[in-house]
Amino acid sequence: MKIFSFKGYRQSVFCSFFCITAINLLSSVAWGQQAITVQGKIYDNLSSLPGVNVTVKGTTVQTISNYDGSYTIKTTTKDTLVFSMMGYAKKEIAILGRNTINVSMVEEATSLQEVKINAGYYSVKEKERTGSIARMTSKNIEKQPVTNVLAVMQGLMAGVSVTQTTGVAGGGFDIQIRGINSLRANGNQPLYVIDGVPYSSDPIGTGITSPVLPTQPSPLNSINPDQIESIEILKDADATAIYGSRGANGVVLITTKKGKQGKTRFSANVSSGVGTVTKFVDLMNTEQYLQMRREAFTNDGISPYPPYAYDVNGTWDQIRYTNWQEELLGKNASFTNAQASVSGGSTATQFLVSASYNKQTTVFPGDFGYKKGNVHVSLNHESENKRFKINFSTGYTAQNNNQPGTDPTLTALSLAPNAPALYDSEGNLNWENSTWNNPLADFKAVYTAKTYDLIANTLMSYKLTNSLELKSSFGFTDLKNNDTNISPSSRYDPAYGLGSEYSTLFTSQATRKSWIIEPQLNWSKQFSSAKLDVLVGTTFQSQKGNQLVQLGIGFPSNSLIYNLASASRLYTIGSDESVYKYQAFFGRINYNWKDRYIINITGRRDGSSRFGPGKQYANFGAIGGAWLFSEENFLNGNSLLSFGKLRASYGITGNDQIGDYQYLDTYASTGAIYQGTIGLEPTRLFNPDFGWETNKKFEIALETGFLNDRFFVTTAWYNNRSSNQLVGIPLPGTTGFTSLQANLDATVQNRGLELSLRTVNFQNKNFGWTTNINFTQASNKLLSFPDLENSTYNYQFVIGQPLNIKKVYHFTGVNPQTGLYEFEDVNGDGVISAQDDKQFIRDFNPKFFGGVQNQFRYKQLQLDFLFQFVKQLNWSPVVNTSVPGTMSNQPAEVVNHWQSPSNTGAYQLYTDGANGQAVDAFYRYVESDAAVVDASYIRLKNISLSWDVPDSLLKGMKCRVYIQGQNLLTFTSYNGADPEFKASGYLPPLKVWTTGLQFSF
Amino acid sequence: MKKYLYQYQRKVMLYCIRTNIAVSLCLLIFLASCDDFVEVDLPNSQLTAPAVFEDAVTANAAMVSIYAKMRSQGLLTGSASGLSHLLGNYTDELMFYGNTQNGAVAFYNNALIASNPDVKQFWNNSYNQIYCANAVVEGVDNSVTLPANVKNQLKGEALFSRALLHFYLVNLYGDVPYITTTDYRENSEVARTLSNVVYAKIIEDLQAAITLLPENYPTPERVRPNKYAAHALLARVYLYNENWEAAKNEATMVIENTGLYTWVTNLDEVFLKESTATIWQFSPSENGGNAEEGATFIFISGPPPLSALTENFINGFEVSDQRKVRWVNAVTDGVTTWFHPYKYKQQNSTAGSIEYSVVLRLAEMYLIRAEAYTHLGDLDAAKTDLNKIRNTAGLPDTSAVTQQELLDAILQERRVELFTEYGHRFFDLKRFGKVNEVLSPVKAGWSTNDALFPIPESELLLNPNLSPQNPGY
Repeated sequence: MKIFSFKGYRQSVFCSFFCITAINLLSSVAWGQQAITVQGKIYDNLSSLPGVNVTVKGTTVQTISNYDGSYTIKTTTKDTLVFSMMGYAKKEIAILGRNTINVSMVEEATSLQEVKINAGYYSVKEKERTGSIARMTSKNIEKQPVTNVLAVMQGLMAGVSVTQTTGVAGGGFDIQIRGINSLRANGNQPLYVIDGVPYSSDPIGTGITSPVLPTQPSPLNSINPDQIESIEILKDADATAIYGSRGANGVVLITTKKGKQGKTRFSANVSSGVGTVTKFVDLMNTEQYLQMRREAFTNDGISPYPPYAYDVNGTWDQIRYTNWQEELLGKNASFTNAQASVSGGSTATQFLVSASYNKQTTVFPGDFGYKKGNVHVSLNHESENKRFKINFSTGYTAQNNNQPGTDPTLTALSLAPNAPALYDSEGNLNWENSTWNNPLADFKAVYTAKTYDLIANTLMSYKLTNSLELKSSFGFTDLKNNDTNISPSSRYDPAYGLGSEYSTLFTSQATRKSWIIEPQLNWSKQFSSAKLDVLVGTTFQSQKGNQLVQLGIGFPSNSLIYNLASASRLYTIGSDESVYKYQAFFGRINYNWKDRYIINITGRRDGSSRFGPGKQYANFGAIGGAWLFSEENFLNGNSLLSFGKLRASYGITGNDQIGDYQYLDTYASTGAIYQGTIGLEPTRLFNPDFGWETNKKFEIALETGFLNDRFFVTTAWYNNRSSNQLVGIPLPGTTGFTSLQANLDATVQNRGLELSLRTVNFQNKNFGWTTNINFTQASNKLLSFPDLENSTYNYQFVIGQPLNIKKVYHFTGVNPQTGLYEFEDVNGDGVISAQDDKQFIRDFNPKFFGGVQNQFRYKQLQLDFLFQFVKQLNWSPVVNTSVPGTMSNQPAEVVNHWQSPSNTGAYQLYTDGANGQAVDAFYRYVESDAAVVDASYIRLKNISLSWDVPDSLLKGMKCRVYIQGQNLLTFTSYNGADPEFKASGYLPPLKVWTTGLQFSF
Repeated sequence: MKKYLYQYQRKVMLYCIRTNIAVSLCLLIFLASCDDFVEVDLPNSQLTAPAVFEDAVTANAAMVSIYAKMRSQGLLTGSASGLSHLLGNYTDELMFYGNTQNGAVAFYNNALIASNPDVKQFWNNSYNQIYCANAVVEGVDNSVTLPANVKNQLKGEALFSRALLHFYLVNLYGDVPYITTTDYRENSEVARTLSNVVYAKIIEDLQAAITLLPENYPTPERVRPNKYAAHALLARVYLYNENWEAAKNEATMVIENTGLYTWVTNLDEVFLKESTATIWQFSPSENGGNAEEGATFIFISGPPPLSALTENFINGFEVSDQRKVRWVNAVTDGVTTWFHPYKYKQQNSTAGSIEYSVVLRLAEMYLIRAEAYTHLGDLDAAKTDLNKIRNTAGLPDTSAVTQQELLDAILQERRVELFTEYGHRFFDLKRFGKVNEVLSPVKAGWSTNDALFPIPESELLLNPNLSPQNPGY
């Protein structure tokens, strides 16, 4: 009767609800059924299944199965119990007077259509979505031994291309969602949103302190993959237009794990493993190397060998051989990962507290490593009347990275194989009478990065009426980063007598704080055969960054090197502050008629402080529609086609990734002192008139499921065009600067086909086999560029060609007479020059890429593996080498070289550098089509084998042991270290094996 | 029932209040969100350009930052990436012993290519410094608040700096654009200016600087150019243009200002920061800092970590030349002996600064005038000037008799007096038409085209108007 008094009068819905309850109550009384308590266990194949919803059919009486799959529910003898859980076929079982009912649930593909997909400001059922959203869940993530959130996406999602930029922990990743939209290299980042809070992916720190990394550290390292529940990637206009100016490059939504109703549950996961370099490059041995050097000097006519040619003039041992890759990159890196969590809660309040710790050492000699600790808390509460909800989540991550000051990979590839021993007979660093730089000495230079990152978000909502809900998110992020790079005098040859007055310390202290408030109103109304959802909201966001970069030189002792106050000379290299403010209004109207026809309209008006007065605001919007043709009468119930949807969308998004204050003509402090005065210098060439870049996206997609969705195919075709390109136009040095921020009337098209296929090949109690395949064929094209010929982009771009091209020379072979590389003289002027003869185009975009993931289950044993494939070109390893014949080792294949007109080869004659023409020819060769080779590959990206210890062996506990591997096998014709890898001269991603144990109770 | 009714009324009331609050809240939010939110103030680390030139202190900071840049980056830095070290390797002064990955290797081998990073770095840094100088000229011209004397001084300094940088560019790259504005639209499409026109503009700028700059150094320590610094540079410019009369006159202007400039006879005192033979020098980057050349050239054990003087150069000294003793230092490991330049004797910072990098000094004025006199036919006057240098170095008067002998003697004297100072050797060999004759026998990689650097490849790609590339590249 309480329900009656509380809400009954107000709403007809509640009235009818009351009636049903009343009738139920009445009926049970009328037929005189007896109240009983039913209990039992729920299984999934052979292991117990927690979290299953158990409802008494036709009532609101319900419970949820415990961690061990057990449940207890009060009901009556003649009722029917309904067992349901996402991903499993719903089961109804009549009680028929029994007290114990054990249930076995079967996984079902069709129910994936019911999953609620996070679309950012709203969520939508998978089957009802009109936009293009790719999703992956913790199930995919936990099978990979990685510590970076972007790493988990590699190879798994159509249209999403991820490449790792270094094998050194703490480095970054490149991600492209549907190709390169912007001519600006740094304008292609997607927007990251963590639990509703936009998270800036702008690099932190400074390149000055982190030369060991090819790119500045990415703040995304703070996000712990263990704590992610799901990642949704918004790709098309329908999904991204509500993010307006920040949606052009796609949106990555990260949802962290939440507590679940039920008994308090403890779980833990520990793993450890080793990582090694995937492949060493085949280099010359000492004999081949010295032969090359001697021949080089003979060719140059230099005799005797000059005093500085220690390798060949007899100063160094002529027999000695060291495999420098083995010495400098050959260690096993160790990986340790531990994670524990407690979760649980009542129907009204749920909580989750989890903590994790990661440690990863390096393949370099010495004591380097990366550590990460993370705490994550999530609280959910719902008021008794179910009107008010609050959801609070916060994560705090501390990272401590300790790496060598520079990456030794290039040294390992170039050091002469007969270079001296690393240590002398007394175990000290050997300097061989000052004739070489001992590579171990460089490890005394150390890069450390300490990063502390807090992300907190509160989402509150209140149902004003049953159809109107007011909600707002309040988010806060606080990032602190302290980088240091020390170069102690002990790294130099003691013979030079450089004391600690030569030691240097670079420090960078950066903070980045942001807050966001996004109030919004949702109104939704169910009509007889239609449903209307309307959303309006507004955003206020502010981000403030500070950075202080300092250099200290000269310390009383090297043991004080981390103390800036001890430096005898202190320079402030940069002290910057930036404020970014952003405001928007957004809205969405979604109309769903009969679950067959759905229209989704979204829009946003954005203002950003990154633009000058009068240019700050712009409008964005999209329309999307879906037709669920399988719901039509003529197909409904079709035994073959279980699901069919056609959807399309068109809209405009934007891009404001241009940095702050670019529209102002300013002077900034240089930090350099002259006569006691700190200098002021012009900051940039300024342009007050630049405005928003726009990106128009079109997509059409067909989603079909066959045989109860056991065979599910999604085919999407997209065509995106970005125009009014906002770019740092490259300028010749004569302007005093190298670029200018401006809008360019150029249009770039990204077009592609994405295919995802999910099949359940075999499914029964003991054995299951499912396959997921994704395939992306993408093309990128510069459609128009008015007056390209007269612009500074003329050498870089070609209309009708992709952006990511390189114009190169055409290599015509080694001249048999001169022994020099020769190139096509396109304009026939007798001179090979970059401006006239670099006319051959090589496209570095992948032609297609994808992944094939298989999952096998046999009883408690599960095997997952993912093959990733890419068809692409890459620079050959030759581009990292020096001129053949100089004091630098070469790939072994370089022995096949020109020696005389009668004895020629693939590589040109050797020179120590005095042959200017040969040096010139070499540097043209590395910028010719000969240096661009096929780097297509198929890679066993990851594999995971796990075994669930049977319940019968463990009393009330779940336990799983697993072994996982990453980058294990690569099939490629590419002869460099890694075909995937683009940042030349740095350590490629490692091959990793880990084993672990996961348990909960 | 009455109780229920009361409860109901209360609920409705509460509901209405809540709804009202919510709706008003929304309205407030929507109304409050006006354009102001996305206006941000200037960051506290930056000033707008016009504001800089409203105040003498900030305008001055804009000017000195150009000297700080010249001191630390580009052509004139005393560090290993500056002309003194790299052109020393490019010619017959230095031999390179350091790491093969070092940029100096390409200079030592005379194997510069159009994409060489230092060739680009010299170009870009110079034009960035020129941009800053032009920004000072424009800022000062547009300023209404700066006092006239400050305006004159700053503009004079900016014009002097612009002339100095173009002088080095024209000597390294041949025809180069002469940039006099900050307008990127114009500067991004410039063509190469014929070198005689570049020189004419250099002369014009220096003459303007002479009228604007004060007689005396505006601040202590001769680290800001005065009128005579401009005269000194102009003397060199005229000399390079073979305008002997004008070169002689400009050099004389400096030499005869004995109130400021006096001859220093102790070789150990020539490069001290108080030296009265200094016309213009760079202030160091910190208190106690010394000329960067010291750290670049000095080494205390062999083999040398970077570069050492060549045997050929050491053998070029006449017997008893005190410069070989005072300005050169020998380092030995017992078997081999190496030599390094020792004009600057401080490798490190000291309690108080001792030496600054000297850009213009009196000895060059005497050498300029000696050469000018020789060409003008006044051989006796020429010998007097030349002997002033020789006698200070402990050498007897020159034995040269004919004009040609005297010219040869001057070239030799310049070699041993001005070695490893901003590429004098390279420019002198070119001026005397002896660059191939001298360098071909001693440099395996030397070719006749090496007398000019290539125009950076990136420049030609970004601005085709800069074509054609220099021959041989």
